[in-house]
Amino acid sequence: MHSPYLRRRITNALAMLLSTLATLVGLAFLAWILWETLRQGISALNLKLFTKITAYGEDGGLANAMVGSLIINFVGIAIATPIGVLAGTWLAEYANRTKLGESIRFLNDILLSAPSIVMGLFVYTIIVLPSTALTHGSTTFSGFAGGVALALIALPVIVRTTDEMLRLVPATLREAALSLGVPQWKLTVQVLIRAARSGIVTGVLLALARISGETAPLLFTAFGNNFMAINPMEKMSSLPQIIYQYANDPGESMHALAWAGAFVITMFVLLLSLVSRLILSRSKVSHD
Amino acid sequence: MTDSAPAASAAATKITVRDLHFHYGDFHALKGIDMDVPEKQVTSIIGPSGCGKSTLLRIFNRIYAIYPKLRAEGSIELDGDNILAPGYSLNRLRSKVGMVFQKPVPFPMTIFENVAYGIRHHEKLSKAEMENRVEQALRSAALWDEVKDKLKQNALGLSGGQQQRLCIARAIALKPEVLLLDEPTSALDPIATGRIEQLVEELKGEFTIVIVTHNMQQAARCSDLTAFMYLGELVEFGPTEMIFTKPGKKQTEDYITGRFG
Repeated sequence: MHSPYLRRRITNALAMLLSTLATLVGLAFLAWILWETLRQGISALNLKLFTKITAYGEDGGLANAMVGSLIINFVGIAIATPIGVLAGTWLAEYANRTKLGESIRFLNDILLSAPSIVMGLFVYTIIVLPSTALTHGSTTFSGFAGGVALALIALPVIVRTTDEMLRLVPATLREAALSLGVPQWKLTVQVLIRAARSGIVTGVLLALARISGETAPLLFTAFGNNFMAINPMEKMSSLPQIIYQYANDPGESMHALAWAGAFVITMFVLLLSLVSRLILSRSKVSHD
Repeated sequence: MTDSAPAASAAATKITVRDLHFHYGDFHALKGIDMDVPEKQVTSIIGPSGCGKSTLLRIFNRIYAIYPKLRAEGSIELDGDNILAPGYSLNRLRSKVGMVFQKPVPFPMTIFENVAYGIRHHEKLSKAEMENRVEQALRSAALWDEVKDKLKQNALGLSGGQQQRLCIARAIALKPEVLLLDEPTSALDPIATGRIEQLVEELKGEFTIVIVTHNMQQAARCSDLTAFMYLGELVEFGPTEMIFTKPGKKQTEDYITGRFG
């Protein structure tokens, strides 16, 4: 065997080894985190977790925090999805390669990496403080305000994925529809969004996964509530906020509850990722 | 240096191109094209890559207009009306001039919907009329027998050749007068190519067909008239037989015989 060939094989084996190692390191941390959350939270993982509220402390569960998380996340996604999909569509279809479009895309990318606490403080200033002043203190922190803060975090994610997914749709598909005399708005709604649908849905699910673990923006907005709150205009508890609070508590059983909450969120996010992968792989099959 | 009138053509002129210039930003892509495309015949446009043949085709239905910084000057008359005039309705133009692209691009819908989609935009038809119209279009595109049992299936499941015939069906479903084919077989295998060429032969009684092709044999096989373009100019335009047997210009002869390209 001559030497250049041998050298290539060695380089190949080395690259393979390094990338396998890198993958293993990443996966090992993930497995470690999952294992630890399960191990630490298992003693608190029982039916009480889902039926009792946090008011009972270490004898209670996380029911109000879970319901609160669901409501706040729902408000966040319900606000961010229509705005994000429309803005992403505008960027990809109407403002692509224009100066304004490029600047907004750039600003959106900045928003994408803005610290989440800033979003919380921002919403505290524009919603919590004015509503306190207007209602003379009867409405202050609220699940709704928390939802708005999360919407601001989800929004750039949805704008970005919608924009990218639409720009991945081949130009020829646009030309084909336009050459039939179909106007741009019909083309966008009936052909392009449909072609990019699975990607956009995935983006929304990933945004949901992203916001469901956010703690900081909720501290100044939803605040927390030890009782069950369904009305979004009330103070509301959420899983990340309870985890934060319980993890700071000296009590061992509170720690176990926090671990259990962490486990629930992790499983929820894992489920969302699996669902979005499923959607993407399905659409790939139908495209071939 | 252009012959605008094809000699041996008795047919009426469908499209009249006069002093057509086209610019991509600063690039002068078409330099004074004059050309008369006869009705219900097949006109092919050949020439090396970058000669402007696709550009010319894409002006016939003004599809270029969706991109910024592109501009066409001169006139293109379709049945005597200048389609480049600002008052000419794009909707009207595109219902009269259909286009099929290099790569088959079915919409992400069922086979039936792919054909019905364009019709729906221009006409209000009853369910039965629509079904009839879709069947007719698929039959004309020689696809009906292959898809009649799976009209409700996603069009993306068809083979490349079938997809391209579906795109032809989609275009002719609008009953256009002109059909533009932009290298319609360059992404297809020889068998699928053969079927498309056969289809072009069948369709020419009904439509005025303009086909851009890289493949000189294809132009020789399926067109009545051939235009040879080079560097943004129409070098020679005439009956296909003449262009391929005794071309009038040296450049055409060099290209045909493979001396450059």
